[in-house]
Amino acid sequence: MPLMPKRVKYRKSQRGRVRGNACRGNQVAFGEYGLQALEGGWLSAQCIEAGRITASHFLRGEGRLFIRVFPHKPISAKPAETRMGKGKGEPEYWAAVVKPGTIIYEVGGVPEEAARECLARIAHKMPFKCRFVTRRPSIGG
Amino acid sequence: MATSTTTTIMAKLRTDLGSHAARKSRRQGQLPAVIYGHKIEPIHILVKQEDVWSLIRRGERVVDVCVDNRPPEKCFVRDVQWDAFGKQVLHVDFVRIRTDERVRTTVPIHIRGTPVGLQAGGVLQQPLHSLEVECLAVNVPEAIRVNVADLQLGQAIHVRDLKLPEGVIPLVDPEAVVVQVAAPKAEVTPTEVTPGPTEPEVIGRRPAKEEEEAE
Repeated sequence: MPLMPKRVKYRKSQRGRVRGNACRGNQVAFGEYGLQALEGGWLSAQCIEAGRITASHFLRGEGRLFIRVFPHKPISAKPAETRMGKGKGEPEYWAAVVKPGTIIYEVGGVPEEAARECLARIAHKMPFKCRFVTRRPSIGG
Repeated sequence: MATSTTTTIMAKLRTDLGSHAARKSRRQGQLPAVIYGHKIEPIHILVKQEDVWSLIRRGERVVDVCVDNRPPEKCFVRDVQWDAFGKQVLHVDFVRIRTDERVRTTVPIHIRGTPVGLQAGGVLQQPLHSLEVECLAVNVPEAIRVNVADLQLGQAIHVRDLKLPEGVIPLVDPEAVVVQVAAPKAEVTPTEVTPGPTEPEVIGRRPAKEEEEAE
């Protein structure tokens, strides 16, 4: 079952635009290694679930996977062969709005080589370019 | 647990302030920085990017900053600003310190060894990757190294168990877990597909049945 909110204030939302880079959620916080989006866009709940399944197959109970994004945005669509008009379409799926720089997944408790392989497999499922990142050096602060 | 040593970095006084000048200086291999503290007027400076990267790589926090012809000032690296992708350093904050001054800072926690509990099927979890501490500015440890080789399944190392250098006081809950070997989560095998709600509940809207009854 893909992720979606339990309760919402409004059933449908406007499209909006993905502008600028991620100023929050752009560094590895929970695990040791992360997968960072290099492009912006919508990440559907199905994609997030596909990545989770890929990781759980690869890790086989070792280590821990952290999903850092949640699909808060309802994406509506009109049925096929429908004339234009008659109002906004019905919600089709849920998506997370991802800005460039956002950390999508994190992995902890596994060696770096395993984490690289795991996150590379997840990256193939993502609709945008991603890169492997490690924790930032904690100097300052 | 080695403590930081003092190195000297050369800096130039920065006269052109603002984002345009800062970008220009970054392109030329310089990095905008500031020195403040001790109720003295802040100084805007330019330091070499290689010097800052060398500080970051070695985890040094206390440096002598020599600005033009002025006498060197003992400074503590208070903050490092990164770009959105965490690739480039954008700016560094240095705060003036005395050798007898205590500071609050975060120190990374590094794990050493492979726990025994992993062979029993446990999963190594590290909820705390850095520790907030208070200590003398010149005695800030580069890292706190924790040996987890003897950790059995279900065992944990708490903040109170950490061996910190003398004069280093942790500022977090002593009961907080630093690292643990937890039992693996049982793999959930979907036996039968239970269709959940296809749409979330809308706040402030009555369910369809209630609406029909009201009509």
